[in-house]
Amino acid sequence: MSASWKQLSSQILLLLISCRHINTKTSSPTQPPLAPITPLKTDVRSIVLKGESHTEKMELVNPVNLTLECTWTGNQNKLPNITGYWRKDGEEIQNSRLSVQFHNGQYNIQQVFSIVSEENLGNYSCVFGNEAKISFILEAPQIGEERDKPIISYVGDSAVITCKMDDAKPMPNTWNWYRYNGTEKEQIFVAAEPHHYEIINKERKTRLVVHNLTEADSGLYYCGAVYAIGTTMSHVELKVITFMEPLKPFITIVVEVVVLVAAILLYERSQSKKKATAGDGTTADQKNMLPQGDDNATEGSSSMRQRKV
Amino acid sequence: MTKVKSNPESRSEEVEGPDGGWGWVLLAALFVSTSLVFGLMRSLGVFFVEFVQYFEESSQAVSWISSTGLAAQQFFSPLGAALCNAYNARLVVMTGGFLAGLGLILASQATCLAHLYLTMGVISGLGWGLVFTPMVATVMANFTRRRTLALGLAFSSIGLSSFAFNPLFQLLVEMYAWRGALLILGGLSLNIVACGALIRPKQRSEAPAKVDPDSRSSCVAQLQRVSSYLELSLLFERPYVTYTLAISLLNAGYFVPYFHLVAHSRQAGFSEYQAAFVMSAAGATDILGRVVSGWFADLRHFRLIHLLSLWTALAGVFIMLLPVSSLSGSYVALVVISLLYGFCSGALTSLAFAVVPLIVGVERMMGALGLLQLIESSAGLLGTPLSGLLKDITGNYMASFMVAGSFPILGTLTMATLPHYFSCTDPPPPQRRSLDDKDKGLNSELEQMNSLPSDTSNRSAE
Repeated sequence: MSASWKQLSSQILLLLISCRHINTKTSSPTQPPLAPITPLKTDVRSIVLKGESHTEKMELVNPVNLTLECTWTGNQNKLPNITGYWRKDGEEIQNSRLSVQFHNGQYNIQQVFSIVSEENLGNYSCVFGNEAKISFILEAPQIGEERDKPIISYVGDSAVITCKMDDAKPMPNTWNWYRYNGTEKEQIFVAAEPHHYEIINKERKTRLVVHNLTEADSGLYYCGAVYAIGTTMSHVELKVITFMEPLKPFITIVVEVVVLVAAILLYERSQSKKKATAGDGTTADQKNMLPQGDDNATEGSSSMRQRKV
Repeated sequence: MTKVKSNPESRSEEVEGPDGGWGWVLLAALFVSTSLVFGLMRSLGVFFVEFVQYFEESSQAVSWISSTGLAAQQFFSPLGAALCNAYNARLVVMTGGFLAGLGLILASQATCLAHLYLTMGVISGLGWGLVFTPMVATVMANFTRRRTLALGLAFSSIGLSSFAFNPLFQLLVEMYAWRGALLILGGLSLNIVACGALIRPKQRSEAPAKVDPDSRSSCVAQLQRVSSYLELSLLFERPYVTYTLAISLLNAGYFVPYFHLVAHSRQAGFSEYQAAFVMSAAGATDILGRVVSGWFADLRHFRLIHLLSLWTALAGVFIMLLPVSSLSGSYVALVVISLLYGFCSGALTSLAFAVVPLIVGVERMMGALGLLQLIESSAGLLGTPLSGLLKDITGNYMASFMVAGSFPILGTLTMATLPHYFSCTDPPPPQRRSLDDKDKGLNSELEQMNSLPSDTSNRSAE
């Protein structure tokens, strides 16, 4: 339980911090809440809009009855009555339209939402008569560092895929791993294939080890950070290649080296043969050189010979 | 034998000695092999990230791979030199290239970190050791008047190839994972074999003389032979010991900025990009410094040893100025001092090897370089941890840079104790002293045989 108290206190702290920068006006609710009162914790987030629109991101970890309050100072018209309504993910929420009074220099609209599971998360917007909009993006803590390049591994080797939640964000309850099999994400259960997969969860980090890789193991893997409110995902691509892949450029380079060495040695042999056939001014020493020159191709046994002479 | 160029007693390197011709081909070979040895070593950082993730080891444990490789390269340098003296350089370099490639190919199959130490560290390190010193000595033997320029051009490959290899290795790792990338790197390293094949072998003339005609294969005779290949007698000669000591002192301070400059810049309050830019700028002037100092030294306005002392002292001064310049918080000052430091450190690398034949003579250069590499590396191993320790004790880099900067200056002072330091012209290079010095006849025959290598390379240059 202490973990969730920590999360609640951090939410309140967040709220208090935001109060330093934003005018908060808590007025009594103008409307009964949409959801039934359940023993969920409650939370309030209020935003005052000075311009045309504003977006606020909120990280939720546990189910909560969230009161979202929007305050708008109005435009130059300052109509006494405008219509305000709420949207979720772009679509208007049923029965949320109501008439808003211009009171104390501002329009105020507030709503309580029951955020229980993943489908309750999303983009909630309060709209003041098609003019002003404040968006609240409710989401579970996102996984920050995502690796954009695929992980390359070899057939028969083991691959390690890791996911990490930022230290600043709340710790997930657990981690799950999924594999994309063409149509959907399929959860990986270690018990089903204990020799193939290994999942090691360590609070903020999780590691998926895939043993005895085959080419069929290539594909997208998803790690999911599980919170009470839902799961956030991050994906990594795994590519399994055979050893033939790097072997091809390797063989090319080796062939190139062999060709170079042979060319150099042959060139040298032909040079010394030319000197032999030139035959002018050859001294005894130069005659001694020639067999040495030929023997250079046979890997330097010449100097050994020379010493015995 | 009809073409003995000059009187052996009054031989000066200006008159005789190869310069150019096939030497330029060897220079290209040295360029390629140096980049495949040191440029590759410097760009292994890309792999270390992968190793940390795959083997779940700390980055310190993984960084031991490159330390092992570098240590092995320097430790086996005398071995490479000795083998060249015993057999021929071509065989040694080709073997070294094969070993370097083999180490990386085997590393691609590693299943634990220890395998990597063994393959990438020891085997490849052994290969690199067998490659570097022989190739440098061969190129130096093939140039006389333009020796320093040749070295400068060749060593500039290290900086240039690190620029090229980093993105290349990154691409290889992304396409083939580290196993495939190491395999391909092994193949690339095999190109060193082709570089080695370009060496035209010349027999080592002193070797037959060294072997006693009636050599008993007793331990003493064998040891004598081995010590002559390793040129261990150099360790008893004052000029060589002095020079080695000076270079070791230089080495102790030389690497400190490479390891600590970025951290120091960050600590001084500059951003990551600014700190990285400082390093890149120093690297760029390093390349420039190598080439310019090589060209300038060969103009012969000053003695090589004086120029080396100048660059070393300046490098020491600039290392000491590095923390001072960032004290005031000025980024421009830090960049300027880093640029100057980079230039000086590149400048002195070209000269450090080129001075060796002036001290020990061209014939013993191979063994001398091998021993020099071994001894200077131990100083390098001590210098960087010492500066790290100073930083941990004092909390900032001021003390460590100051101490690190004092080492090259001490090296300069040591160099000043070399014989004939304060004369305006180079002393004549020492004649080769054979072990059995009594036989004058043998000696004169040695002198004549000494001129043979230059004949050979002249003929092959035609």
